[in-house]
Amino acid sequence: MPTGSEPPGIEFAQVSKRFQIQEGRTLREFVPALFRGRAWSPPFYALRDVSFRVARGETLGIIGRNGSGKSTILKLIAGVMAPSEGEINVYGRVSPLIELGAGFHPDLTGRENVFLNASILGMSRKEVSARFDEIISFAELWDFVDTPVKRYSSGMYIRLGFSVAVHSDPEILLIDEVLAVGDAAFQEKCLAKMQEFRSRGVTIVLVSHSMGLVQDFCQRALLISGGHLLADGEPAEVVQSYTEAVIHTAEMPV
Amino acid sequence: MNRTLPVARRHPIAATFGLPDFLPSFAVLWQRRELLWSMTGRNIRSQYKQSILGYAWIFVNPLMQMLVLTFVFSTILRIGSDVIPYPFPLFLFVALLPWMFFSNALSSATDSISGSASLVTKVYFPREILVAAAVFSKIVDLLFGLLILLGLMVFYNEYPSWTAVWVPAIFAIQLLFTIGLALPLAALNLFFHDVRYLVGVVLLVWFYITPVIYPVEMVPDRYKVLFDLNPLSLVLNAYRRVLLDGTSPGWDRMLLGIAGALLAFLLGYYLFKRMEAGFADRI
Repeated sequence: MPTGSEPPGIEFAQVSKRFQIQEGRTLREFVPALFRGRAWSPPFYALRDVSFRVARGETLGIIGRNGSGKSTILKLIAGVMAPSEGEINVYGRVSPLIELGAGFHPDLTGRENVFLNASILGMSRKEVSARFDEIISFAELWDFVDTPVKRYSSGMYIRLGFSVAVHSDPEILLIDEVLAVGDAAFQEKCLAKMQEFRSRGVTIVLVSHSMGLVQDFCQRALLISGGHLLADGEPAEVVQSYTEAVIHTAEMPV
Repeated sequence: MNRTLPVARRHPIAATFGLPDFLPSFAVLWQRRELLWSMTGRNIRSQYKQSILGYAWIFVNPLMQMLVLTFVFSTILRIGSDVIPYPFPLFLFVALLPWMFFSNALSSATDSISGSASLVTKVYFPREILVAAAVFSKIVDLLFGLLILLGLMVFYNEYPSWTAVWVPAIFAIQLLFTIGLALPLAALNLFFHDVRYLVGVVLLVWFYITPVIYPVEMVPDRYKVLFDLNPLSLVLNAYRRVLLDGTSPGWDRMLLGIAGALLAFLLGYYLFKRMEAGFADRI
């Protein structure tokens, strides 16, 4: 784990995330369970004792199987969840690109949604107005600005969401598998934008199943498995240990 | 567990929430006030967008309620025709309007966080904004309702005296109390889906034990205490007094009301913040 003196972007110190699944979502189920002493199922660890540090401006890839805890890390960085144990420090304005368009309201137009989504990400109305043309141009949605987004195709949805997020002036960008969607031309455009961010010194954390992307784009990679941090280092090496591990357990669904 | 985030614009989800955290969290709320306006606007615009009559629905509901309740309770049951010195529809509507605001705001706020699951699990922003926006967006309905009230006043030729200037202050008390009550309910609704049904039942009972369709003067003495303890009863009576009777509530009573509402708000806010860390885990 690099512990250099460069300014920190994100710090995880012995972070564990425990989920306690509640038995039953209604009182009728919960109260009897409480009396039987089985109101809470045994805790499930999504992350166990994970420590790493991301320098400011560093590009970090996180790989691992489905359910290994990758997305939990992003949610902890985004501040959506609190760690059960350990400490997390995040220095800078975070823009999550997790499941784009989460803030969109289907009945509102593209224009209304841009303002709504941007203000969720912490932009002021003035900032959005100044960048509105840029946002729509990047998303190539000038013909549909005043159409309710429920009439958008999924590609248009994603383009708009990505465009708002990248124009929110992030210091830390969290990307969860966004490049898997959208057509090739738009993927190219997103990649170019991300490279621009990288050269501008934006810290990027990327969760991906695309080993090629992690190797080409990231300076460092983490391998997460069953909530444990298995490897932390050069993307090429980490990707290799992951592919080996996958081959060893090829019978299991990935 | 201490999470230091030396960054403005972002507030961590604290696993604990204590007295010293109140002011910083209000500061963050103030920073994010634009989000509150956008969310409120979203709620208002999306509410009536899909309907043919559009915003006209805002009038239909209170108007129908007033007509039906007047017919049943005034024409058929002849409630308080000797006690109420003004036309029943006017007497009813002055209290029905703020009651509908309270009831609609509370039930929509209870669902506000569970209804925004996709947002709550992706981006951090102070979650109380969702609750406050749900309450605020009902103010629009209230304002349109005021037009009906104005129409009634013109129709019956009963105009309020200068004491109507108290209305904003009374409304501030009502608003604060409503949000204070809505906050923990919205949070609890994530843990137990029963809460939304419970709120429906409680509101139904609450409507009948609050003097909306009858004057508080008709209540037998031994039940009076029930009405003195009911914040909504006090608020609705205050509206009637300043709008219809033309009497001032008096500073001491107002200050007491503000203190009570503030206490309810701070308590609700505290409970909400204590539960907030678990929201994304629960949805």
